[in-house]
Order: sequence, then structure tokens, then C-alpha cells
Amino acid sequence: MSQNNGMDRRQLLRLAGLSAAGLGLTAAGCGSGGSGSGGPVTIRHSWWGADDRAKKIQQCVGLFEKKHPKIKVKTDFQQYPDFWKKFNTQAAGGNPPDVIQNAVTFLRKYEAKNVLLDLSPQVEKGNLDLGGFRSGLEKFAEIDGKLLGVPVGSNSMALVIDEKVYEKAGITPEIGWTWDDWLAGLQKIKSGQKIAGDAGPHGVMYLYDLILRQNGKAFFSEDGMGFGEAELLPYWTEALERVKSGLYADPGKVEQIKPASATAKGLSAGEFTWDNFSVRYSAEGRSSYGLAPIPSTDGKKTGQYLGSLMLSGTARTKHPAEVATFISFMTHDPEVARIMGYDRGVPATTAQFEAYQPADAPSKAIGAYETAIADAGVLEPITPHPAGADVIEAAFLRIGADLALGKTSPKDSVKQFFSEAKTALASN
Amino acid sequence: MSLLYAAVRRRGPGALAWHLGALVILAVVLYPVVWTLGASFKPSAEIIGALDLFPADPIGDNYTRLTEGIADIPISTFFLNSAYIAVGSVVGVVLSCSLTAYAFAKVRFAGRNVMFAIMIGTLLLPYHVLIIPQYVLFQELELINTFTPLLIGKYLATDAFFVFLMVQFMRGLPKELDEAARLDGCGHLRTYWSIVMPLCRPALVTSAIFTFINAWNDFMGPLLYLNEPDKYTVSLGLKMFIDQDAVADYGGMIAMSLVALLPVLAFFVAFQRYLIDGMATSGLKG
Repeated sequence: MSQNNGMDRRQLLRLAGLSAAGLGLTAAGCGSGGSGSGGPVTIRHSWWGADDRAKKIQQCVGLFEKKHPKIKVKTDFQQYPDFWKKFNTQAAGGNPPDVIQNAVTFLRKYEAKNVLLDLSPQVEKGNLDLGGFRSGLEKFAEIDGKLLGVPVGSNSMALVIDEKVYEKAGITPEIGWTWDDWLAGLQKIKSGQKIAGDAGPHGVMYLYDLILRQNGKAFFSEDGMGFGEAELLPYWTEALERVKSGLYADPGKVEQIKPASATAKGLSAGEFTWDNFSVRYSAEGRSSYGLAPIPSTDGKKTGQYLGSLMLSGTARTKHPAEVATFISFMTHDPEVARIMGYDRGVPATTAQFEAYQPADAPSKAIGAYETAIADAGVLEPITPHPAGADVIEAAFLRIGADLALGKTSPKDSVKQFFSEAKTALASN
Repeated sequence: MSLLYAAVRRRGPGALAWHLGALVILAVVLYPVVWTLGASFKPSAEIIGALDLFPADPIGDNYTRLTEGIADIPISTFFLNSAYIAVGSVVGVVLSCSLTAYAFAKVRFAGRNVMFAIMIGTLLLPYHVLIIPQYVLFQELELINTFTPLLIGKYLATDAFFVFLMVQFMRGLPKELDEAARLDGCGHLRTYWSIVMPLCRPALVTSAIFTFINAWNDFMGPLLYLNEPDKYTVSLGLKMFIDQDAVADYGGMIAMSLVALLPVLAFFVAFQRYLIDGMATSGLKG
């Protein structure tokens, strides 16, 4: 353009160098140490949770590093939905953490994509100890002969009740009570104390699974849905009637007070949820809360199983032996149980279960509840969900809530649910 | 204030109604902020479910709790990380986008219009399309768990919107100024630095403010690229208070959100002066 062109270029180059130097500066101090062979090995462990769990896990990791000085563990955590967003990106990008917290819903999904590590060779090599798990938790995450995870804690569905309301109504739920007993209780509470008996169970997939199991079916088969419109339509029609008659809490209010629970806020005398969630109720509400067993159809079979958080390795890890050693430590070491408490559910191995004696009332109740259902012999083995189950669970909850709010008729809701379920199963 | 004064002077019933209406809308707009402020002095159990705007007996626990840090990491770490990324982004965007804009606005070269169109085209790419390819790229370069993936784009003028903004602004500057500079012996770089940059101040300040706010509030980027909690930014730290499996600490989260607002507010207050200042001078440039 002009005679100044040469000079311009030089100046431009200098400027470019300057900004490159700036970039170098930003990169400095963030270099990650590569793990050489022979020296200490670093594995990455991610989980979902908050502040409290982070502190506990960090303590366990400290303990682990002391006992295994050649393995370093770097930890990372997010809340549940963000955890999966990040994990999906990492897995797609070929850089997943070595060990993740996992749940049964995700096993088949990630197995289909070859994301998870088969831990069975490590069991044979003696790096992972599979002995001493509580009944109902052995071979928990075994799919098609592959061991895709090891449970760290168990939980089971329960009916969380407002003890004061139940006491006033003179109802004492016991193992072996039936849905008719439960319903009679709701009516008694409704007429005596003007409180809805339940927060509305129609959107809780895991409860409906139990009802189906009591009748010889299940929510999921190995690769699809285990029930049809013929089962769901009467269930949801009945639910809508109970919402209208006030046996179930006003769905508008239940939505409004979210994320608080309806029972903790006094909208209902009880609700079905995981037993380990009951710790929250005494923190959120003013009454005292207890755990009641799941009602059954025939007075015996509740269809219950132990659900669980587990630890899984990822297939791309360069250190499967160290991954197995870490998982084994987290599931068996009694000291870990004393640190973690019931944070991830009731410890999965008997050694850990016996090592930790809870001091607070809600945790004691959870321990007693799981012992009681194990002794009653109602526990069945869990069936790993097909890929897409997480999407279907969310759809069941959302469509169930819309139904209760009167946005859709039972018939349309059922139709919509099955069409969404079909899409989720096909695309995952 | 001047609006209120005008209303008083005119004393028209229409004006009065207009102001009352504005105040009502203001109350609605400010309500969430006031609610958050009130909630930060409530105990966690009272925050959800209770309808009162202000607590019956306010507590400072939520703020003192912040000094304990989250997950054994002091709160200041999150703020320093965020500040590093936000300030780094502002410097990068101001320098790289203005330089790119200068080239598009003031230098004539082959393919300029095509390249400009392609750059504008990148505005149409949804962020989610880029997530995985970008992640793979930075993963191959071994830059995961550093701040580089969050900053490098800012130094390479990838924010097409800001480039566009500055190009439009520079096109509005009179050509005579460049010509005068050239006659005085300025090359492109000198013209860019001494003539165009000072005149572009409003565009630069606007870009700086938006870049700062975006970088400070960015969640997805840090979520994906940072793997160790002590490298986390404020937006990630905020989410550490709550999880479905735990007793949620709403009080701590709300107190920290309010503290997290302060730097953004301070940045805006400090720079909006220049924004108005710049507008005034650019009006006179003739």
C-alpha cells in the first residue's frame, strides 16, 4: 500500500510476539505433571456432590495416599446434572477421569459406548476384593459377565412419614402392610387432621417399579419397557382422582415449594423416596420424621432391592490396577466408613457397616430400616436399566407432575410417556 | 432525579401516572435482588418455603460461613481465578479484536469482504456444536486443566461480535484523520495505536464491559476445562453448596452470590464513566 509496508510488518510482528508472550504467561504455572513409569501414578476421581461430601472424600483420599504412597488421587466434583454434562464431554473427548461415582441407571448406557472399565481381570489379579458385601449387593453391577462397578453404599425405597401426624392418627406402619392399609391410613389422616396423606407418588419411577414387581412385572426389561399402557392408565387415572379428592397433596403447592420436600414443609404426611434422603427432612422441617416400609399387594412381596452409588473405572484409564486398588480401599477400609458415614448410603460391605455406628437419629433409622428389610427377606436382585433409563425417569416425573396439575388427561399423559420412552430407548 | 424534577414541574396528571407506573415496574424488577439480599440473612431452612422478604431475626452466619471456604478451599481462590480469567479476557479482546477490526475497516486487501463475511458467519455457529471438537483439540494439545483454553480465543479475536462492533465504529471515523496521519509519516501500526484506538474508546469500553461480565459469569467453559477444585472459578464454586444427595446450604450459596456480584458491579461502575465520556468526545469529533 505504501512505502511504509516493511516497517509495518516488523511492527506487527513485534506486536504479535507481545501478545504471544502474554499467552505464554497465562499458560505458565498450569502445566500438568505427566506420570512417568516407576514413579508415583496419578489417577483422577470425579463424583457428584457438594461441599460436605468433598471434605469427607478428601480425607479418605489422604488416608489412601498414606497407605499407598505410589498412587496419587486427584479429585473433582460437581452437582449431579453438571457432573454428567462434564463427564459426557470428557468421555467423548477421550479424557474421562479414571474413577467415577456412578449409578445403576447409567451402566448399560455407558457400557454400550464402551466407556466403562471391566474390573473382573483386576479381581483375578487380587487388586480388587469382592468379598464381604452385604446381601443384595453382591455382583451388583455385573452386566453380560463384565464387572462395571462396585457399590460403595446402599439405599432402598421407603415411605418417609411425619411421625407426629401418623401417631396422632394412630397408624403404625409395619412390614407386611398392604396398599389397602396404606390407603385407609391416608383417608384417616385426611378426615382427622385435614392434611394430605401423601405428596403424590405417581411420578416416582422407582416406586412404580416396586408396584410392578409386586405384580410380577418390572419398569424395565433388559432392553425396553417392562409394562404397557394397560398398567399405567389405571394407575394414573386413580392418582388424578386422589389428587382431586385431597388424598394427595395439592400439586400446585408441591411444585411451588420445590426444592424443599412436601412432607418436610407440612403439605403431606408422607412421601416415597430413597431412605438415605431422609437425613434432609429433619434439617428442612419442624416435625420428626421416620421411615416406614413399602406397602405390598399381597402382604409379603414388596419388590424391593438395594439401589446404590458405586464406583466405576473408565475403559481408557492407563492405570487399571491402581484404579482397582483405590476402589477396593474405598469399599473395604473401616476407617473410610467412619469418615463417610451414610453420606453415600449405608456402607456396602459388612466390615464398613459394622465400623460406623451413626449417632444421629435419622442415620440410625436408616441403618435400622435396611437391617429390617434385609432380615424380612424382601430384597430381590436389581436389574440394570437399559440405556436411556435416565431420560425416561425424568419424563415419568415431568409427565406425572403435569397430569396432577391438570395440564393433560391421564390418557394423553400415558400416550406421551410411552412415545417419549420409545424415543429415549431408540436414541441411546 | 431529573425525571422526577420534570414531573414536579409539569405537574401533569399523565406525567404523575407515568412515574407511578415506572416505580411499580421498578419494584417488580428489583424484587428478586431485594429478596436475595433478605435471604442472605436467613437460616438455610427458612430460605426455601418461607415467604417473608426479610428474616424476623437476621443472622450473619451465611457470611461468616464463607470465611471457612468450600471443600477446604478458601473463597478467595475462586475469586482470584475468576479475576484472572476475566481480566485476561478483557485485555485479550480489547487488543486482538481492535487490531482485527482495524484491518477490516482501514486496510484494503484482497479477499477482505469474503473474510469479513466468514467471520460474521461464525456468529451463527451455536456454542454447543463446538464443545466436543474444541475439547478434543485442547485435549490433544494437553491444555486441559489450564486456563489457556478459556483465554486463548480471546487473544485470537474469535469474538466476532466485538470485531464487528469495532469495525462499524471505525468505519464511522472520518477518513481525513487517517490521511493526515499518513501525511505525517505514520504507518498502519502508528495510526492504529495513536489515532484509531483513542477515538474508539466507547466501542472498546463496551467490549470490555461485556467481556468482563461474560467471562466472570461463564459456567460451561470452566466446568469442562478445569479439573481441580482449586482452579475453579466463582461460578463453579457457587454450585458446590448444593447437590441432590446432600442437605443444601442455600444460605451460603446466596451469600456468596451477592459477594460474587460485587466485582461485576464495581467494574461496570468504574467503566461506564468512560463510556459516557467517550460518547461525548466522539460526538465532537466532527
